[in-house]
Amino acid sequence: MSALKDEDPRIHGIKTKIRVVPNFPKPGAVQCAGIMFQDITTLLLDPKAFKDTIDLFVERYKGKNISVVAGIEARGFIFGPPIALAIGAKFVPLRKPRKLPGEVIFKEYTLEYGKDRLEMHVGAVEPGEHALVVDDLIATGGTLCAAMNLLERVGAEVVECACVIELPDLQGRERLNGKPLYVLVESH
Amino acid sequence: MTQNTSVLSPSNSPSITPTAAAAAAITRRLRAPSTLTTVSASRPLQFSWIRFHLYRSSVSPLLCTVSHSVEEEEEEEDREMASEDGQDLRIARIASAIRVIPNFPKPGIMFQDITTLLLDTKAFKDTIDLFVERYKDKAISVVAGIEARGFIFGPPIALAIGAKFVPMRKPNKLPGAVISEEYSLEYGTDKMEMHVGAVEAGERALVIDDLIATGGTLCAAIRLLERVGVEVVECACVIELPELKGRERLGNKPLFVLVNAA
Repeated sequence: MSALKDEDPRIHGIKTKIRVVPNFPKPGAVQCAGIMFQDITTLLLDPKAFKDTIDLFVERYKGKNISVVAGIEARGFIFGPPIALAIGAKFVPLRKPRKLPGEVIFKEYTLEYGKDRLEMHVGAVEPGEHALVVDDLIATGGTLCAAMNLLERVGAEVVECACVIELPDLQGRERLNGKPLYVLVESH
Repeated sequence: MTQNTSVLSPSNSPSITPTAAAAAAITRRLRAPSTLTTVSASRPLQFSWIRFHLYRSSVSPLLCTVSHSVEEEEEEEDREMASEDGQDLRIARIASAIRVIPNFPKPGIMFQDITTLLLDTKAFKDTIDLFVERYKDKAISVVAGIEARGFIFGPPIALAIGAKFVPMRKPNKLPGAVISEEYSLEYGTDKMEMHVGAVEAGERALVIDDLIATGGTLCAAIRLLERVGVEVVECACVIELPELKGRERLGNKPLFVLVNAA
C-alpha cells in the first residue's frame, strides 16, 4: 500500500522535492536499469518536506510495539534513525561487507551483474523483536529481501518494509514474499 | 567554554543523584580510566549484547577524566566539550554504550563502535539532544554529515533544529553535479563530494561525523563547504581520539565532542 489512495496533503510536497537525474549511475547498479535516478538529497534540503517524510512514517508506526528499525546502508541511515528515535526503537545499521567491526551474520544477494552482501552485527537484534526495514527506495527488492532474511534468521519478526519511493515497474513488492510494504511515493 | 572541573570523584560529584548503574559505571572508570576493553577479537562470542550496559568501555566521559592546572585552563579556552552538570549522567551512559573492538580494521587499532550506542534508545536520544541543545538557537541552516556514520547522527540533529541535511559522500555516489575535495589517508588519497547547489553562500553550517581521528575527513568537508561560501560554525562528533590530534588539524575551526577515547 502507498499513501497515494487517501493522499495525505504532505505527499505532494515530498514528491515534488525528489529530483530525477537521468543516466545515473554507471552500469551495474539497479537503479540505472532504466535511466532515471530518484535523488532524495533534494528532499533533505527542504526541512519541512524532510520532516513530513519522517512524520508520515512515525505516525504509522508509533505505538505498534516496534523495537527495531533496521536501515540499509547508506540512504537508509538517513531515514531510519529519525524514525527510530521518534518511536523509541533501536536503530540497527545493515551494511556492505567489512564495514561493521564486530561479529556479523551476512546474506548474499544478486545484482544485475554479480553479487553483493549485506551484514548485521550478531546480538544487535533479539528473538521476538518486532522490526521495520527502512530504505530510501525499493527497486527490484533484492536488498530488502536480504535485510528481512537477516532479521528473520535471528528470530525477529519483520512487521513491514518502509521506503520513501517505489519503482513499481521493477516489481519489488512481489519479491517481498507477502511481507507488507509501505511507501510514500511511486515513480514510473 | 572553559572546562574547569577536576577529576570527578564521589566527594565532589554534582548534586544530582546518579542511578546506581551510572554511579557504578563512573566509579569503575575512575579506578581504571585508561583500561582498554577486555573483549578480544579472537573470542567474539563471549561478548553478550544483552549485558552491554555492564560493559566496560575504554571511552572516558569528558567530565570524569579532565583535570586542570590553572595554566592549562587558559589553554583550554578554545576547547568545547559537553560538560554541564546535568549532562554528566547522559555523557556517562553514552560513553558506556560505545563498544571498542580491538584490531579492526587492522592490527593495533582500537575501533570505536557506535552501533551499540544506537541500540540504547535513551543513550542515542541523549546523544542527539546534547547536540540539539547546543545548536538550536544558533541560526544554523545546514547540517553536513559525512558518509556513512555521519548520516546516522546528522539528520536527527538537522530535523530538530530546522536545518537542511547535506550528505558528504564518497566518489560516484551522488547522482547530480558535484564538487569534490581530495584528502590524504595513511596510504594514498580519497575524495569527498558534495552536490552543487546543495548549500548557498552565506549559510551557516555544522559538520557532523561519529568520530574525529586525524581530522582529515572533517577538513575535507570544511573545505568543500567554504569553497562555496558557507561559514562552518563548528564540527561536532560523538567521539574524539585526542592522541591523533585531529583538533589541531582543524586549526581555528571549533570542535565539539561528547566523549574522549583514551
